[in-house]
Amino acid sequence: MSTPTPNLNAAAIAPQEMAFQRESQWRMMLGRFTSNKLAVLGGIIVLILVLTAVFAPYIAPYDPIYSQDYGNVLQPPGGNHILGTDNLGRDTFSRIVFGARLSIQAALISVGLAVVVGVPIGLITGYVGGFWDEWVVMRVVDALQAFPSLILALAMAAALGGGFYNAMIAIGVGFIPSFIRITRAQVMAVRNLEYVQAARAIGSSDLRIMFLHVLPNTLGPVIVQVTLSMASAVIAEAGLSYLGLGASPEQPSWGGMLHVAQGYLNVEPLMAVWPGLAIFFVVLGFNLFGDGIREMLSPQ
Amino acid sequence: MSKRIKVLLVAAMVGLAMLFAAACGGGGDVGDTPDGAEDGDGSPQYGGTLNVALSSDAPRLDPGLSSSVYDRYVFQSIFDKLADIDENGEVVPVLAKNWDVSDDGLTYTFHLQEGVKFHDGTDFNAEAVKFNFDRNTDPASPRRGELAAVKEVTVVDEYTVEVVLSEPFAPFLSILTDRAGMMVSPTAVEELGEDFANSPVGTGPFKFESLMKGNNITLVKNEDYWQDGLPYLDSIVFKIITDTNVTATNLKSGQVDISDWRFPTKEIANFENDDNFVIVNEASQNYNGFYLNISKPPFDNKHARQALDVLMDREALVDLVKDGAATVAHSYFSPGCFAHGDSDIPPEPSVEKAKEILAEGGLEDGFTFTYKTAATPEQQQIAEMLQSMFKEAGITMNIEQIEFGTLLDQTIKGEFEAAALGWSGRPDPDQNIFDDVFTDGSMNYSRFSHPEIDELVTAARKELDQDKRKALYDDAMEILVDELPYIFTYHENNVICHSKNVHGFTYISDGLIRTAEIWKD
Repeated sequence: MSTPTPNLNAAAIAPQEMAFQRESQWRMMLGRFTSNKLAVLGGIIVLILVLTAVFAPYIAPYDPIYSQDYGNVLQPPGGNHILGTDNLGRDTFSRIVFGARLSIQAALISVGLAVVVGVPIGLITGYVGGFWDEWVVMRVVDALQAFPSLILALAMAAALGGGFYNAMIAIGVGFIPSFIRITRAQVMAVRNLEYVQAARAIGSSDLRIMFLHVLPNTLGPVIVQVTLSMASAVIAEAGLSYLGLGASPEQPSWGGMLHVAQGYLNVEPLMAVWPGLAIFFVVLGFNLFGDGIREMLSPQ
Repeated sequence: MSKRIKVLLVAAMVGLAMLFAAACGGGGDVGDTPDGAEDGDGSPQYGGTLNVALSSDAPRLDPGLSSSVYDRYVFQSIFDKLADIDENGEVVPVLAKNWDVSDDGLTYTFHLQEGVKFHDGTDFNAEAVKFNFDRNTDPASPRRGELAAVKEVTVVDEYTVEVVLSEPFAPFLSILTDRAGMMVSPTAVEELGEDFANSPVGTGPFKFESLMKGNNITLVKNEDYWQDGLPYLDSIVFKIITDTNVTATNLKSGQVDISDWRFPTKEIANFENDDNFVIVNEASQNYNGFYLNISKPPFDNKHARQALDVLMDREALVDLVKDGAATVAHSYFSPGCFAHGDSDIPPEPSVEKAKEILAEGGLEDGFTFTYKTAATPEQQQIAEMLQSMFKEAGITMNIEQIEFGTLLDQTIKGEFEAAALGWSGRPDPDQNIFDDVFTDGSMNYSRFSHPEIDELVTAARKELDQDKRKALYDDAMEILVDELPYIFTYHENNVICHSKNVHGFTYISDGLIRTAEIWKD
């Protein structure tokens, strides 16, 4: 996805001596981020999403699952239901609000899994190199990347069985290859630089060099990848739920809501609009935020 | 003369009644009566093509090997049966002119129509009937179970066949109104072998013309049909349209003249208000609901099963899921069946009652179970509604949506607590209850076993007197509504929509379309 960029190698000379420069550097980066209006907008959207998820029970006027009202189904927006009701008479707004929780969870679990597995593998193979790196790990990564990610997630979700967490694991596995690749590329760029050679010369162990000296210098692109993957995770969760492989059907997943709304397009088309808009804004938010971070870390 | 006046009078009265009904805002089956009032019944016209929408492909056009309801749809036009059911659910003769049944109920003597020929010119006679019975009782045929009671078939003379059963079997004649009674050409089977399904040959009003997998099946008129003056149409094209919403659109645009029985219920109101269409919305033979696995907790406890039964608001399910095109259910027998009785009336939904039942069964704190269901929008809606209804008495229901084949497989193996599977229904009550409740029956997925039930349903299939059979089924249902190995939701209606220029369609409770008497203007 993102190609390795010339990194901030200045920061990696020796941690203690660089404290001052590092502080001013953070300030500079923050300045670069805030001057990017779209990035700030993305940040705000992400913040709203997080706050909505955290305070969902206080924001939503109705229970998202059990507030069924059979005399009041498929209502257009207005009255007691600002976004109308669904096919079981549940408040659409409440379901959208609680849906934020599922989306955040989806993003954190799947991307978290990809980072925890992908980054160490990329770090080790990139640092060690040789046969295992070139002919085993990277070829497996190629093979995994040859599948469109949603197809891979579908196959895995089918194999693991339904359910929200299995779906998130399936999506996370799909993300692992890109994290291996990005980390490895970064590691290869820095593993023979002078400060690493210096560390080696004074007898530091490989493990110490990898995790203390190399890893911190690979994190920039990884962080960018994390934010961008979160957007993909939200879409993938919606996609799997739409296909009935994600969250349990009563759960207010935005994808699941779209799936149900599809059957009522002739009757109450707005039912499909709200979860669609929610997905749109959150994905946009994560993408803008991710782009902002990328520019902040590597000004061109 | 006086006859014509009578017809006119009746027509005028019908017209008036319709006008009145329309003025009162009653929807009803207004349909094609306005033109009926103008020119009596309207005389049938010859010619034209009937385009039938089929919501799935018909996989195997061979009555002896078919196991799909969609095949049965196409068979109605290609094959005649020994007997059929009429609009009142009674068994009526077709290729068998009439029959005698011995007093012990073991010997059936069929007297056949004479001078009937198969589409390939082969004579239809007693030998052909024997050939078909032998073929359908072959171990390879899915028909074998239906004809398990058949011991021997003998040719008495050219147009008389005698079938001897090993024990009295009341459903026998009704079974001959479906695939087991369809007559295929012996010559064609011998010539074509496996390939018969790709060019089926029967005696029916239409001959097979061509088939394009997943797209269409075309039939043309049988000019030598044995029933005088029939059929009216020149040809029939079954169009495979898997999305029923697309079927609705095609009806509007005139690409399709008649839908199968899966017309989308959400569109009923819309089409009922359109003068160009007739909606047939009638009770069928099926039932829907879910099996409870009583071989393991929580449903080994009868009180757990009874609590679910009394918590369900079936009226709400019928209204919301089926848009009213269903009848609440509490038994294996739908309203059209002679065995239908008071057992089909479900209990009034009551949370207090459910809590009492749970307390009696030592389940004061409720319980948790998993409900497995297919992933269709309709099934999902049912599941979510049930989940919410059960919640009120502290019962937690987890929903697991799986693909239909997997669901069936796991249900058969007993890997479930509750499994949502319905039954499309058959004309004879025995075929709707026996295998579900008989110990180790082929569809007894609940693992239910009750000696008294075994006795009752066995006695009912051997009894030939309808009133006595009904009494036996009433006794069985009395036990079953207490035991509840299966929880019923509703009997789904068959909903068929046809354009108003399609005439002569008669609704039969199996939902299949008989085309011989259909004509278009």
